[in-house]
Amino acid sequence: MKPRLGAAFLRLFTVQASWNYERLIGVGAGFAAEPLLRPLRDGEDGRYRAALGRGTRYFNAHPYLSGVGVGALARAECDGAPAEQIERLRGALAGPLGSIGDRLVWAGWLPALSALALAAAALGAGLPAVAAFLVIYNAGHVTLRWWGLSSGWNRGVHVATALQEPWIRRAGALLAPATALALGFALPLVALWSGEAFRGPSRVTLALVAAVAFGLLRWRPDVLSGLRLGLVLVAVALVAGMLWR
Amino acid sequence: MSGALPMLLAWGTVVGLDLVSVPQMMLSRPLVAGALTGLCLGDVASGLRLGVLFELFQYDILPVGATRYPEYGPATVVAVAAAHFDGVPFGVGLATVVGLFTAMLGGVSLQMLRRLNTRAVAQAAPALEAGDVRALTRLHLAGWGRDVVRAAAVTAAGLGLVALALTFVAPVLTHRGERLLSVAATGAALAAGAAGTLRIVGRGVALRWLAAGLAGGVVVAWLS
Repeated sequence: MKPRLGAAFLRLFTVQASWNYERLIGVGAGFAAEPLLRPLRDGEDGRYRAALGRGTRYFNAHPYLSGVGVGALARAECDGAPAEQIERLRGALAGPLGSIGDRLVWAGWLPALSALALAAAALGAGLPAVAAFLVIYNAGHVTLRWWGLSSGWNRGVHVATALQEPWIRRAGALLAPATALALGFALPLVALWSGEAFRGPSRVTLALVAAVAFGLLRWRPDVLSGLRLGLVLVAVALVAGMLWR
Repeated sequence: MSGALPMLLAWGTVVGLDLVSVPQMMLSRPLVAGALTGLCLGDVASGLRLGVLFELFQYDILPVGATRYPEYGPATVVAVAAAHFDGVPFGVGLATVVGLFTAMLGGVSLQMLRRLNTRAVAQAAPALEAGDVRALTRLHLAGWGRDVVRAAAVTAAGLGLVALALTFVAPVLTHRGERLLSVAATGAALAAGAAGTLRIVGRGVALRWLAAGLAGGVVVAWLS
């Protein structure tokens, strides 16, 4: 079983390659699950094709935790669970796997480490800061992917117990303040470092531009994004800069 | 610049692929993409400076599900190339202009890719439902292939913008003008980073931790 689990694990890194509005990551999840379903090919009853057909249907999850669903659904197929139960499991997993992953990774692990890397870069650490970010972030990333797939595969239809493991709650409780602390720590350091390239009136102008732009972004978040505001500001500055002789 | 083009195109494509398709190891994060582009061009200072700047813009977005967002990875690659070949010391202004347009283009291309994938999935639906493993593999790898083309096209378009900016804009931009542009770009990035930080942190107890972090950051900035 190990080689097939390994193959499924590697395929999970491509789970979003065929992301689409109809099935979201369903096709990628089916592609990742396929090696785990191969034992079903031995039978003559068409279970392999039926399982693969179900495996590509609508599914959504945070990509790093999609292995929980891929493993659990493949195991349920191999254990001969009824099709209705498998469909219910697929539907029940989508929400929690999305929200837990978003909270732990996109709003926790990633911004916390990114902020620490920014702070280190601002303090002069340079390339080692970037290398450390990549190594530490991906240590967590790969571990989470493997935990997800192996938990799903080992527990099958009982995979909900994996999502209730205490470490998930503890990680969420720890990451929220740690992320806020890291982001807060990084901001003044990055602001100071960014301002070092400017002198005198330019530095004062930078502070004013940043303050006004921040105010605008907070005032109308429904209309303004960082990109839009950035484009407007650089466009105005570009025209002014070309005229200012 | 032409000597570095194949390398920049290949690296920009890898960075673009990393965002969604494979392997999502944060090579597409601006800080990483910028620093490694700088390393490849022998200009780590510009790479880090623009990497930090676009990382701040990146804080403005959470890549959740089907949300629409700009793509800052290849944008950072072309911005570092622009800064390197522009040759203005600490001049990030023109590079940021090129980078922001490339980011917008990248975001639009992601929507097009998703629509193309959706059409392909709809066409292959009967084969998928029948459990046809060849159709599944073909469909999935085709999605991957489309993203390779998309990422390469976005990077190529960005590099085209770099060439245009260096040919037509840089010569008419005075030193003062470049400085003004750098101030606007840096100010927008700091504002986006700060606003994004507040959005990530949210409300409640986490705000106290943010305040504690800010205090610590100010003290370390003052001491350093």
